[in-house]
Amino acid sequence: MGGKLGLRLTGWVLGTLTLVFLAYQWLPIFTLALLSFSGPTGGTTFPMNGTSFHWYEELWRASVMNDFKPPLLRSTLLAIACSATTIVLSVMAAQAMRGRFRGNGWFFYLMLLGLMAPGILVGFGFAIMMRLLGVELSWDTTTFLVQVSWTLPFGFLTMLAVFNRFDARIEEAALTLGASRLTAFRRITLPLVLPGVIGAGLFGFSLSYDEYARSMFTTGPELTLPLAVMAQLDRQLTPEIYAVGTATTFFSLIAITLFTVAFWAMRRSTAVRRS
Amino acid sequence: MSTIRPRSAAGYWLALPAAAWMLAVVVVPIVLLVWVSFWGGRAFSTASPLTFDNYARFFANQTYLKLVLGTIVHTATLMVLTGVLGYCIAYFLVMKVRSPGWRLALFLAFIIPFWTSTLIRAIAWVPFLGVNGVINQTLMFAGATQSPIEAFLYSHTGITMAQVSLYTMMAAGPVVYMLNSIPPQLREAAMTLKAPPFVVFRRIVFPLTLPGVVIGQVLVFLNVMSDFATVATIGGNKHALLSNLVLLFYEGSQIRAASVVAVLLMLCMLAGVVVALRVVDIRRLGA
Repeated sequence: MGGKLGLRLTGWVLGTLTLVFLAYQWLPIFTLALLSFSGPTGGTTFPMNGTSFHWYEELWRASVMNDFKPPLLRSTLLAIACSATTIVLSVMAAQAMRGRFRGNGWFFYLMLLGLMAPGILVGFGFAIMMRLLGVELSWDTTTFLVQVSWTLPFGFLTMLAVFNRFDARIEEAALTLGASRLTAFRRITLPLVLPGVIGAGLFGFSLSYDEYARSMFTTGPELTLPLAVMAQLDRQLTPEIYAVGTATTFFSLIAITLFTVAFWAMRRSTAVRRS
Repeated sequence: MSTIRPRSAAGYWLALPAAAWMLAVVVVPIVLLVWVSFWGGRAFSTASPLTFDNYARFFANQTYLKLVLGTIVHTATLMVLTGVLGYCIAYFLVMKVRSPGWRLALFLAFIIPFWTSTLIRAIAWVPFLGVNGVINQTLMFAGATQSPIEAFLYSHTGITMAQVSLYTMMAAGPVVYMLNSIPPQLREAAMTLKAPPFVVFRRIVFPLTLPGVVIGQVLVFLNVMSDFATVATIGGNKHALLSNLVLLFYEGSQIRAASVVAVLLMLCMLAGVVVALRVVDIRRLGA
């Protein structure tokens, strides 16, 4: 039948396109990783002139100028702080939405605005505001404030989705049995939505760790990792940048894996308890 | 009954920290930007008189106007490219991949780069695009060209190539979601009524996924409009979009000019979102 043949043909064409795009998306990342292991005389592209850990050693021994260890520490601390703040505020905000307080529609749009507003505008505007207020820019104060405004909406939407699928009858049972609202929330609701909380935390961590535009305007002289990478790129392109890129990508993949493992563990434990 | 009493004061108290945070860090600074863009004089002070001079100066400059046009054309190109590519990929993933294992594997292969730094992924394109880059080496090895093509790094083509790889998943994601929510019975019914596959797609599947397409396009639009980092990494200093201009003025301490460009950028984005909302009602999506 002609139609069947046509359908299979479409399948093949679309499948090929998908695989080609996957290669297109992954090849640069693999190339970056591969080139970071090039020999001491290797340039920023092929040939690699041998394989070595030279550029990683350079990275480790770095001078003050291009030392990536302090920025890495700052970015990690910042990401953890953003993650924790996002978790607390987004759970509160999503719980508030369940109460359908007056003006909850506006509140929802306010959060969406944080999601839509581009980093360059928020960062720039916030920098001007700080200058007007005479506040010194610093990675652990101003950058933190701005980054949470970016991670919070993601956590909020995650928690909204989780609460939407939440079976409120379980809470009802607890309340009928005489638990106070606070106890019911702490003992029943929170453990059940914990996988979602982990998801919100992952958003907080990952978005903050990788953020560039917002940090650029609001960080003082002590740079975060993406800023340090970009500054180094402006100075000189060496395989060292590839080594940093590979290392930080690897690091964030580990963080994501940890979060994912925690997520599955939580979900399994709640699923078991439910059955 | 739930752990929060409907319409109680507790809701306000719980929402207050998040709302205050967003107001102080997102809304107030953006309003401030608009205000600063009207400042006259030279000093950085709130006492500056308000004028339209900053805007007049911007619009009097042909180069800047061309840049606005160039940004819009560039963004539109990317929306078309990522839209078509993203739809094809989403359709394949949802409709054509039958085995759950394969589907998960492909899904992960697409989603993992998304969780890593966009900046690093943009930098990863640099060794590909240079005069001695991977693309040129491959082309010369294959005998397609004799001398390297200089059109990739520090060029518009290179920026577009990198951004397609960065943003296609944003266009595909919402479509995947919408395709998944189409009940299979709808397509079966159409096919039972002897509609050819393409008609089923055009009359049933595509209209149902349209909201996903629009949302994906909005995401790509907003991100490409404000993505100065990729342009700076791959375009060097030779190419700029509107968002790079903000940075350029900011680094030159021309706060007023930077604010003007920022406000124009914001207006472009608002216009885009409003047009998109006319096509699709976002609030009806959840239902």
